[in-house]
Amino acid sequence: MSQPLMLPQGWEARWDPQSSAYVYVDQNTGRSQWELPTQPTYPSAHPSSSPPPADASAAAPAHTRSGRRHYPTAQIQQMYAGGGYEQSSQATQQPLAPTYPDQNAAPQFFTPGMAGQEQQQPPQPQYPSQAPGYQQPAYGQQPPVDQMSQQFQQMNMAQKGGAGYADQKQYRNVQTINLIGMQPDVRGLEAPPPPALLPPNASVTQSPYSQPDPSYQRCTLNAMPTTQSLLNKSKLPLALVMAPYRSFRESDGDIPVPVVEDSVIARCRRCRAYINPYVKFIEGGNRWKCCMCGLSNEVPQLFDWDQREGKPADRWARKELNHSVVEFIAPTEYMVRPPQPPVYAFVIDVSQAAVQSGMVATAARTILESLDSIPNADKRTKIAIIAVSTSLHFFSLPAGATEATMLVVPDLTDVFLPKPVDLLVNIDESRAAIESLLSRLSDMFQDSYTVGNALGSGLQAAFQLVGKIGGKIIALSASLPSLGEGALKARDDPKLLGTSKESSLLNSASSFYKTFAIECSSKQVSVDMFLFSASYTDVATLSALPRYTAGQTYLYPGFNASRAEDAIKFSTEFGKVLAMPIGLEGVIRVRATRGIRLSAFYGNFFTRSTDLVALPVVPLDQNYVIELQLEDDLKAPFVVLQAGILFTTCYGERRIRVITQAMPTTDNIGELYASADPTAIASYLTMKAVEKSMTSSLDDARSLVTNNLGTMLSIYKNQVTSAAGASAQLAVPDNLKLLPLLCCALVKHVGLREGAQIPPDLRSYAQALLTTLPTQALVPYIHPRFYSLHNMPADAGTIGENGQVILPPALNLTSERLERHGLFLIEDGQNMFLWVGHEAVPRLVQDVFDIPAYSDLAGGKATLPVLDNPFSQRVNAIIAKTRELRRGVYRPHLYIVKSDAEPALRSWALSLLVEDRMDHMSSYAQYLTTVKNKVNGSS
Amino acid sequence: MGGEGWLFLFAVLMAAILLFTMVFFIIMFSDLECDYINPIDLCNKLNQFVLPEMIAHAFLTLCFLLSGQWLAFLLNAPLVGYNVNKIMGKNHMYDATEIFRTLSGHKKESFIKLGFYLVSFFYYLYRMILALISGEWLGW
Ligand SMILES: [Zn+2]
Repeated sequence: MSQPLMLPQGWEARWDPQSSAYVYVDQNTGRSQWELPTQPTYPSAHPSSSPPPADASAAAPAHTRSGRRHYPTAQIQQMYAGGGYEQSSQATQQPLAPTYPDQNAAPQFFTPGMAGQEQQQPPQPQYPSQAPGYQQPAYGQQPPVDQMSQQFQQMNMAQKGGAGYADQKQYRNVQTINLIGMQPDVRGLEAPPPPALLPPNASVTQSPYSQPDPSYQRCTLNAMPTTQSLLNKSKLPLALVMAPYRSFRESDGDIPVPVVEDSVIARCRRCRAYINPYVKFIEGGNRWKCCMCGLSNEVPQLFDWDQREGKPADRWARKELNHSVVEFIAPTEYMVRPPQPPVYAFVIDVSQAAVQSGMVATAARTILESLDSIPNADKRTKIAIIAVSTSLHFFSLPAGATEATMLVVPDLTDVFLPKPVDLLVNIDESRAAIESLLSRLSDMFQDSYTVGNALGSGLQAAFQLVGKIGGKIIALSASLPSLGEGALKARDDPKLLGTSKESSLLNSASSFYKTFAIECSSKQVSVDMFLFSASYTDVATLSALPRYTAGQTYLYPGFNASRAEDAIKFSTEFGKVLAMPIGLEGVIRVRATRGIRLSAFYGNFFTRSTDLVALPVVPLDQNYVIELQLEDDLKAPFVVLQAGILFTTCYGERRIRVITQAMPTTDNIGELYASADPTAIASYLTMKAVEKSMTSSLDDARSLVTNNLGTMLSIYKNQVTSAAGASAQLAVPDNLKLLPLLCCALVKHVGLREGAQIPPDLRSYAQALLTTLPTQALVPYIHPRFYSLHNMPADAGTIGENGQVILPPALNLTSERLERHGLFLIEDGQNMFLWVGHEAVPRLVQDVFDIPAYSDLAGGKATLPVLDNPFSQRVNAIIAKTRELRRGVYRPHLYIVKSDAEPALRSWALSLLVEDRMDHMSSYAQYLTTVKNKVNGSS
Repeated sequence: MGGEGWLFLFAVLMAAILLFTMVFFIIMFSDLECDYINPIDLCNKLNQFVLPEMIAHAFLTLCFLLSGQWLAFLLNAPLVGYNVNKIMGKNHMYDATEIFRTLSGHKKESFIKLGFYLVSFFYYLYRMILALISGEWLGW
């Protein structure tokens, strides 16, 4: 079979029998050529005379005749979004593409059947020319008939493959897409992973919840290769990407984790796997066969008994047999000691820099305001506050006292506690003293002009306080730790930047923090670092402490609390961290069907054994990646991967959250490719690349990403599409069509980007985020979102049917979309840039900023006023929605970027437009060419 | 002249000790893999032996150099160089946070060292016996 080929828009391939080759015909001009066309004729180039995008009804059959399959992107997406196999009728009822309002008369995609409508649509009216609002004509929602019928044809094809799954010999159709010359459809970045096509009776209950939501756990492949040699041959990574302690967000449609109320925990005697929807009941239901190791286990006596009602219960209604994510309440054998209370020790830098920046005052106020939201359900929560400058300041907070007493310890080398009691106190009993201290803290150090920060000694003191119980140390530091244990030096030599030595700046400078992290981890203490710096604070070294204790690093560069935006951002994020319903004394263990082995762990934790990681405090929404290998051939039709996280809730209950995922096995390499999840692969490559940048160099880290992508696609080309020789195209399986875009964005991300301009602190912080953000936040952090606001559809920024603010359609990340008179928003979850074109009409500037003209507008960090006009309210709604769009505590700053001023800010915003060429980094098109050459070179 | 005999007797003993150290390292690494020991204890235990092992080996090499045993010296010099390089790069100690990621490398290194010490053990033994049968080694 010849390689299925996707031609750029407007081109048609015709077989020329005389020369035995395809001739490519431009359907608009009738011009023909022998070379494979790579440039689609984008209507945006000449909007009035834009070519009729190849008429779907005519073009597709023609291609079928010529032996080539021509699958328009949008259509494949429709199939995919509809689940392809079982939900085909639904998919045809809700075609995805037509419901998207078009972006600014520049349809980058060949949307079958839409051709006529596009032609009728006038070019997007510009802001001022359309007086009654900023709306756009709506599309007819009805897809034309020929498109429908064509879709049905394809559905039938797919169904032949899918429906016949029972006999296990059928595979998914791998749809090949050619990327060169195509603009990626960025809306697909949110698509769910390809489904795992399990045999029909894999799950004992036919529950719709028998697979975990991808936000809990997803795998790079949704079909498990039967042998390691097949996996090696495919060059695809095999790794679990998971965030087991995920937050519960109603707005994301989360369902609460079902809790198994009775303490009947059925586990396999041999491999200790928890019972789950994929076990088999045998011997009349008296025994169950473990799906991991095959051992037959007895069903516990009370398994079918309702303890509350005291009567027999329906086994098939049990939550652990219906849900892939469940929580068990752990009995005492799962405890080393009685559940400990939540403990928070604050180590606050009170040196001159910290007080002057307003950090101390803001932090103290936030703690004060959060005293009621810190988890304290059973009134056992304890806190301690230690202030650090050139000496250590402890505060005695006796129960019932109204004032705190300060105790100063100048000895920094041999840290001791000045007092055995009253330093770590119950938050309720000592409430008055705590409140009095927090309201005075900043003033107490207002006049001390001490320069120097003994952070390391302060951390040791806090460790002595909380080490007996375990808990969280929250360190807030506004200067480089310069005294006592763990003192650091400014080592950010600008000469190193951009060289191979730069990676030394990404590694720890002092072994103190790593050694201390190990000590903390073994005593169930976790450390969060809040760093505020006007200058270098060695994030690389300090972030080692959160990394190995399951904490998190937060950086506020150039923090100044007198700027309201800075104060709000920090206090919002800090407040959310304090209110977070943390888990305590956590361990994660992953079990899998025999033959699968865990080979490497990535994330913030301490690896305690080959299958166990320790998290002294389990934070919400942190991402972990676990690489898998096959040590034996897999014989079963499907495998099960089960992650168990054992933790103590902050209200003193020991719980086990079990996440079970099943996937079919396959010996077909095409099936592996068709089941690959681009988001999980990007997540895995991110972890690998960050590790590489530390152990080797940033250059090697970027090559790792590109080479991995290149080898994957070359194997795909040679083994799956069986095309030989060099090709002018880059063939990818449909489900991975956005992986090259993510990889391109990743190598241009500030954490890995080439260049001598990036401060090491910002790089290290970006790397800390890259390795911890859950996939929902990681994808936009790598590939930001870009909206055009001045001409957004009428419903954007208003409340939709589901009660949520409707966001405008996301644009491709290229500056071609920026218009001189426009208003744009670029956001990556950490920062938002409101881009104002320099020809923005006064009315737009007036409506949004309440300023008469563009020239009066000031760029930089800003808060947008909420004005009494619908456009301002919609823009504000979009910004507010963006801030709460994703899991995590982050509140992005808003920067107003003027398109012709402040070059630094401007180029920062432009650096997020990853499809563009930037300095000497390649554009997306060039990146594809690089990858294509790698693919061709290795075939 | 008994110097050579005594030197190789000493070398044989040293090689035996180093050999056992490596066996100990390898056993400990397998224990870690089987979850009989946690990485913190492992690193604390092994790190006590890292420098002594390197120093012992360097001392033996120095002895060969001073006594003019060029072949034996050249045999050992590369390993001394490798060890010195590791110490200079400050990565000679085992790091509990990274141990699982680097375990296969550590095991490979220990096996290579084991093989090397084994070969040297027999070489020193051979040289010792050679010195013995030449009747010179105890001086009569
Ligand atoms: Zn089992």
